[in-house]
Amino acid sequence: MTIDTGRRAFLAGGGALTLSFAMPATAFAAPGELPKSLDKSPWLDAWIRIEANERITVFTGKAELGQGIKTALLQVVADELRLAPGRLQLVTADTAHTPDEGITAGSNSMKDSGTALRHAAGQVRLRLGELAATRLGAPVGSLALKDGAFSAGGRRVTFGQLVTGQELHLRATPTPAPPPPGPRTAIGKSVPRVDIPAKVTGGAAYVQDLRLPQMVHARIVRPPSQAARLIAVDVAAIERLPGVLKVVQDGRFLAVIAEGEYRAVKAATALARATRWETPASLPVHPDVNAFIRAQPAEALPILARGAAGQAGRRFAARYTRPFQLHASIGPSCAVAQLVDGRYTVWTHAQGVFPLRTALAELIAVNEDTIRCIHVEGSGCYGHNGADDVAADAILLARALPGRPVRVQWMREEEHAWEPFGAAMVVQVAATLDSTGRIADWQHDVFTPPHNTRPGKAGNLLAATHLARPFAPPVAKPAPQPEGSGDRNAIPYYVLPNARVVHHFQPKPVLRSSALRGLGAYCNVFAIESFMDELARAANSDPVAFRLRHLDDPRALDVVKLAAAKFGWDGYRRPARRGRGFAFARYKNLASYCAIAVEVEVARETGLVRITRAVSAVDCGEIVSPDGVRNQIEGGIIQSASWTLLEQVRFDASRVLTVDWASYPILRFAQAPEQIDVHLIDRPGQPFLGTGEAAQGPAAAAIANAVFDACGLRMRDLPLDRARVRKA
Amino acid sequence: MTTYRLQVNGKVHAVDQDADTPLLYVLRNDLELNGAKFGCGLGQCGSCTVLLDGKPAMSCMVPVSVVGQRPVRTVEGLGNATTPGVLQQAFIDEQAAQCGYCIAGMLMQATALLEKTPAPTDAQIRAHMSPNLCRCGTHMRILRAVRRAANTLAAKGTP
Amino acid sequence: MVQVQRKRHTGWWLLLAAVIVASGIAFAIMWRPALAPQSTQPSFDTTRIGRGANLARLGMCASCHTPDLSRPFAGGKPMNTPFGTVHSTNITPDTTTGIGAWSEAAFTRAMREGVARDGHLLYPAFPYNHYVRMTDGDIQDLYAYFMTRPAIVAPARENRMTFPFGFRPLVAFWNLLYLDDAPWQPVAGQSAEWNRGAYLADAVAHCAACHTPRTLLGGPDLKKQLGGGEADDWYAPALNEHSPSPLPWTRDQLQAYLRTGVAHDHAMAAGPMQDVVTHLAQADERDVAALAAWTHSQLAKAPPRATPAQQAGPLPKPANDDPDLQRMTLGYAVYANSCARCHDAGRDASSGTALPLQKAIALYDPDPRDLIHITLDGITPPDGEPSRFMPAFRTILTDEQTGALAAYLRKYGANQPVWPGLDKAVRKASKE
Repeated sequence: MTIDTGRRAFLAGGGALTLSFAMPATAFAAPGELPKSLDKSPWLDAWIRIEANERITVFTGKAELGQGIKTALLQVVADELRLAPGRLQLVTADTAHTPDEGITAGSNSMKDSGTALRHAAGQVRLRLGELAATRLGAPVGSLALKDGAFSAGGRRVTFGQLVTGQELHLRATPTPAPPPPGPRTAIGKSVPRVDIPAKVTGGAAYVQDLRLPQMVHARIVRPPSQAARLIAVDVAAIERLPGVLKVVQDGRFLAVIAEGEYRAVKAATALARATRWETPASLPVHPDVNAFIRAQPAEALPILARGAAGQAGRRFAARYTRPFQLHASIGPSCAVAQLVDGRYTVWTHAQGVFPLRTALAELIAVNEDTIRCIHVEGSGCYGHNGADDVAADAILLARALPGRPVRVQWMREEEHAWEPFGAAMVVQVAATLDSTGRIADWQHDVFTPPHNTRPGKAGNLLAATHLARPFAPPVAKPAPQPEGSGDRNAIPYYVLPNARVVHHFQPKPVLRSSALRGLGAYCNVFAIESFMDELARAANSDPVAFRLRHLDDPRALDVVKLAAAKFGWDGYRRPARRGRGFAFARYKNLASYCAIAVEVEVARETGLVRITRAVSAVDCGEIVSPDGVRNQIEGGIIQSASWTLLEQVRFDASRVLTVDWASYPILRFAQAPEQIDVHLIDRPGQPFLGTGEAAQGPAAAAIANAVFDACGLRMRDLPLDRARVRKA
Repeated sequence: MTTYRLQVNGKVHAVDQDADTPLLYVLRNDLELNGAKFGCGLGQCGSCTVLLDGKPAMSCMVPVSVVGQRPVRTVEGLGNATTPGVLQQAFIDEQAAQCGYCIAGMLMQATALLEKTPAPTDAQIRAHMSPNLCRCGTHMRILRAVRRAANTLAAKGTP
Repeated sequence: MVQVQRKRHTGWWLLLAAVIVASGIAFAIMWRPALAPQSTQPSFDTTRIGRGANLARLGMCASCHTPDLSRPFAGGKPMNTPFGTVHSTNITPDTTTGIGAWSEAAFTRAMREGVARDGHLLYPAFPYNHYVRMTDGDIQDLYAYFMTRPAIVAPARENRMTFPFGFRPLVAFWNLLYLDDAPWQPVAGQSAEWNRGAYLADAVAHCAACHTPRTLLGGPDLKKQLGGGEADDWYAPALNEHSPSPLPWTRDQLQAYLRTGVAHDHAMAAGPMQDVVTHLAQADERDVAALAAWTHSQLAKAPPRATPAQQAGPLPKPANDDPDLQRMTLGYAVYANSCARCHDAGRDASSGTALPLQKAIALYDPDPRDLIHITLDGITPPDGEPSRFMPAFRTILTDEQTGALAAYLRKYGANQPVWPGLDKAVRKASKE
């Protein structure tokens, strides 16, 4: 669906005022204000640089995480400049070179960086147009723009010829440029991703591939648990092992640095064996997630109090739980750091190079400007994984061995046991159905520890808590709505005249937890959408019709109807042992819309739940790269299927037990869905909305609802693993 | 340290290494090949998959000292960015990657399948690829890419 | 003259009569009537079904009847026997392709006599010669369980039998020799738990089907009960006084092993035994405890002996004067470079519980098959379930390296005599 074609004529004739009107009310910069990232970095040439040799470089403070952002941002700029994306170079997150755009997270890259770049590129184009008009002696309106050059009256001037000095050193102004003339060159098309060719042919692509002259290898020996106490360690014996350059000990922080990577691995194993720890039974043991979570102290933070409680009708209640879960990045975290002449360089795949720099500076007590953090891609991180921690390890070891680049690679067991976990959650939902089967009131209580303990502060770096003079982790604070943290998406998107939502924030975590893709949205949406299903059945209503009845946003109605139609919801006949489930959510209630219909086949005796079909409809505003969106949604559905059907962190009284893929299985090819279809609704002119986190919550609920439809088992405790399905 | 002569992607290399150093580290550090990746070092994820004597092997579990004369093939041997091999092109065409870290291992695992079973069924592809993990959820595209490559090879009449 | 002729004729007639009588007896032995199909499904009470579910776990039914986890009991698993390849059948209650039309009587007859509803004889790959000793109540419970599973359409797959074993009625003669339908008797003087274990082991879990050697005709060699058998080309160790375990099993170790597949620092379930422990993990704990009690009493018959298992520690280099020094040196190198990382002093902070190899029972087995299989194929968890893991070395080691490793471990890990046929066994296994 596209916006009506009258818009273009309307805009072309008008000026700034008309443009502001055309921007929808949910635009991310109020009229008179710059878009968020530009606000912090208003100089145009901080974002786009043009050289005399026609080289055009685009700068973004965001990072490529494998979500295709590099390509998508190039598409945005290329489109504004009416160029092919291949003409542009992109520089991502580097504290020395790019704007500070905080953290690449929250599906905000397109919204923040994409919007900023579109804005900046548009103004660059206008500026270049003015310069070209002067140069060619022709009115601005008569210029034609193609392939990086302006022409008029048979004469032509290129971008590179126009920019000889500081012409682009201009502050961005709030009024966006009108859209460029002519057909689009890049947005709305699926452009092959610029990073894939190197990745399939063994090109250097990841921080793990960095090879610097004189580089040495390090491995860390971690305590058996966060509460473990170091009794004794025989450092001298390890220092004599082949290849070992240095053994570093600072309190409970132990590391070996060696020449030869495998020698570092062996030395670390030997060091671990030469170390004695006391590992107390300090973790609470509870029979289940609910008992564990409810035993923690919590602060009740009401985030919604609308209308009145206690409406007349039939009352229903249910409790949903989610265990701690892992990012479990396939490539364990890695960083390289080097100290030369009092200045540190850190190559890192952390999601926020600027906040990381601040934390590292605090850690080693230096000025921030002596540290440069350069983002280099790692494997998918899905949030706050070990990337910041390993950068801290690396800088500590670079300090211990000045001059040489020190590469620290986390081991698999380390990443599994020590990454900040996706936080466990308990959600209690209650609602009243009135006599017409409509929801009359609603209560949602979510209990959960922190979903954001990202550095900024050194105390959020793992090594910092192990030093002889340790940093204490700062007290975590919940992010306010509408972003939220553990309470993200706790407010239903449905029309509910009476509704109460309380975030029971647990500030004192037992196990370290932080942002995992979607944060609270995964479990909150799982709970809400499972409960909507339960209510629909109690109201004798079709689950899709029930949702339509309670939605009024036309874009929400569109995705729900599209997903249902493409699935064949209305004519569906249930084959033996199979069932269908539906779910819908709007990420953060302000980002992408996603509806998913799923069919599963359940084998009760073996506990196997197989997804035969997943059909999704997505509205993410104006689509930059259709294939990029599809990739993210497919991936989100499969990753959510893995979390939902398989994953939970396990621990006993003294330590974490899930330390490798055998103890923490994830979805393999054998259990991948038979078929996934993603249908996109394009909204040209609407703000860009990220899609990396749109599918996880709906997928979980759609699966659980389908399991119920198939065999009558209402499963409210994640994961719906084989043991649970067998036992139920 | 011993000198090992390894045949990798058709060329013989002499490397000085400890006998128990896994082939993965030799490929990455001594030969500076990026394809095979460290994912777990435990033989559980397949990110390090190479072909050893034509069969898929997890290079993190192969001590360099057992390789002997057996040829080693890595993703670099399938083609490069200017002339990608059939499978590599299929992965590009299907845009079969998100973070891409697992992909080199997937390519080698798939190569072994297509060289032995040129016309695999979908079920065979799924079963064969099972030792390799993908955390981003690119499974559907990977399966499509292998299917695409199989079709291309069949059309070319390549045995 | 006439007398002699009459005598010759009488001889021929007698022979003919004998043949007719023999055929009649044979026919009587081989033929079974069809039992009428039932068209209506009776209903079953949930307690019965629950007990049946437990018995199905203890009886390992899914091991053969559920090759595809998404289609429980739909059958189709090929089993290689010395007589050909047999496929398990569909035992879901589908009326056309499964047992939906089977009455309880038909089901009972199959369980006790190995006869299908329509009268054809079942191959004893289906262990009815054990199930025959199940109680009536247990068989009824199983019937209730199976008749209440979801029906799945799955026609039986064609068997590929070596001539003449495709002729099913021949099985009747096997039954004459090996189908002992005397009811199971408890042993006086033993505890209730022990007797429960004895019953389950014999009549339900049919341990002897793998752990007792078979005769040429494929029946259990009753003179060597629990003396070691095989399954899927794996050696199933003796569970009696001939147990190869280098250290005696404790009752607790055995119970942990049967429930989880791991007896810490003692044994790890691999190969076909993995499926057994997966089943037992889902069965009633008390029944598994009973099985452990009885099995332990059998294993306790093994006399104590001195083995390298009593001294843990790294495995030694081969002696300089070893007559097979070159091979042992190769084997040691393979061990030191491929195995020691996990098996020597174990891996830290991981879910693996790699056994110090002096303790590995496979090294003490009379033949090397188990060690070879474990080396080549590793140990992998069941689909999607957390469990122990060992990588496979099939594509990593050459036959020469595998053979040398096995020979080295046999001698320097277990201090046992050379395995005859080691290289042949390696070649056979690596070709699979």
